[in-house]
Amino acid sequence: MKISKKIIDNLKKGGVDFYLSVPCKLLANMIDILENDKDVYYSAVPREEEGMGICAGAYLGNKFPCIMMQNTGIGNSVNAIVSLLQLYQMPVVFLISYRGTPGEPVGAQGGMAKITEDILQTLRIPMLHCSSEKDLDKISTFSNHAKVVESPVAILCDFNLMKDDT
Amino acid sequence: MNRFDLLNKLHNILKENLIICNIGLPSQELYKINDQPNFFYMLGSMGLSSSIGLGLSLSQTKQVISIDGDGSVLMNMNTLATIGNRAPSNYTLLIIDNGSYGSTGDQRTFTDENTSLKDVALGAGCKKVIECPGEETSNELSKAIEDKNNSYVIISKINSGNVKIDPIPLNPITIRDRFRKFIGIVKYL
Repeated sequence: MKISKKIIDNLKKGGVDFYLSVPCKLLANMIDILENDKDVYYSAVPREEEGMGICAGAYLGNKFPCIMMQNTGIGNSVNAIVSLLQLYQMPVVFLISYRGTPGEPVGAQGGMAKITEDILQTLRIPMLHCSSEKDLDKISTFSNHAKVVESPVAILCDFNLMKDDT
Repeated sequence: MNRFDLLNKLHNILKENLIICNIGLPSQELYKINDQPNFFYMLGSMGLSSSIGLGLSLSQTKQVISIDGDGSVLMNMNTLATIGNRAPSNYTLLIIDNGSYGSTGDQRTFTDENTSLKDVALGAGCKKVIECPGEETSNELSKAIEDKNNSYVIISKINSGNVKIDPIPLNPITIRDRFRKFIGIVKYL
């Protein structure tokens, strides 16, 4: 819970006040925290691409949105990212559980893990890769950066960083 | 009645509300009829009009109308479940259902065969679902906006057919900023 709490605290410190998630077991603690947080909006959403649309609308309505998802969700969302969030220059934080990184028990997750950073790089999305607890201190400044450059940004949280956060 | 006729008839209602308008011909036709700063024209991301409108309605209190199409809703059908569980009362989804992919040459969609978006919306948990002919849409949309306790899904059944029209000349950032200025967020314009 300590890691998850630190991530949410830092996102809130960076101004994020609207959260969606397509669940992952590595995000479960953060979802618990958000479901009990009266200061921010939180909802589950069935599909990441749809979540990108909801985040775009939330930005138009003056919220600073974050969508939490597995890295697989980036694959589901490429056109929405390029033809909506980037076309209209909308700041959105992607908080990504980086499935398929070392420690991952499910071999099939390795495929998307191998290309996740390449996809984000191709999309020119600024990345913050968190592999240890001290990396989490960069989250608030990094989130605020999304607003400054009017762009989606991605925070990748390694499997091993999240797996023992019970 | 085709989409252009319907949008013309609805314009008096639309200009008073925050509008998210579907990509392609719906946006181009609405722009041609009478452009307004409170019209957000989608220039990409087919399927997400309903979702953008939902996010907007959750974030501020003004009435929001997402103008969508049958082909676009079929592309993002999970949106109806999210609306059925989360849409606030200042949200209306107007699905212009002409049974065809209008912007790509009027190929038939599944609503022209076996699929009923009304049944899908009801099954997805949307409580107020109205299916009506294009001619009655203005009346149904007014009633939906007046009801301050419920969100609505309105499925307007019209004929296919398009008006020959040019792409929207506006820059996406212009569309974004004047829309947010209308809401009262952007101050510098």
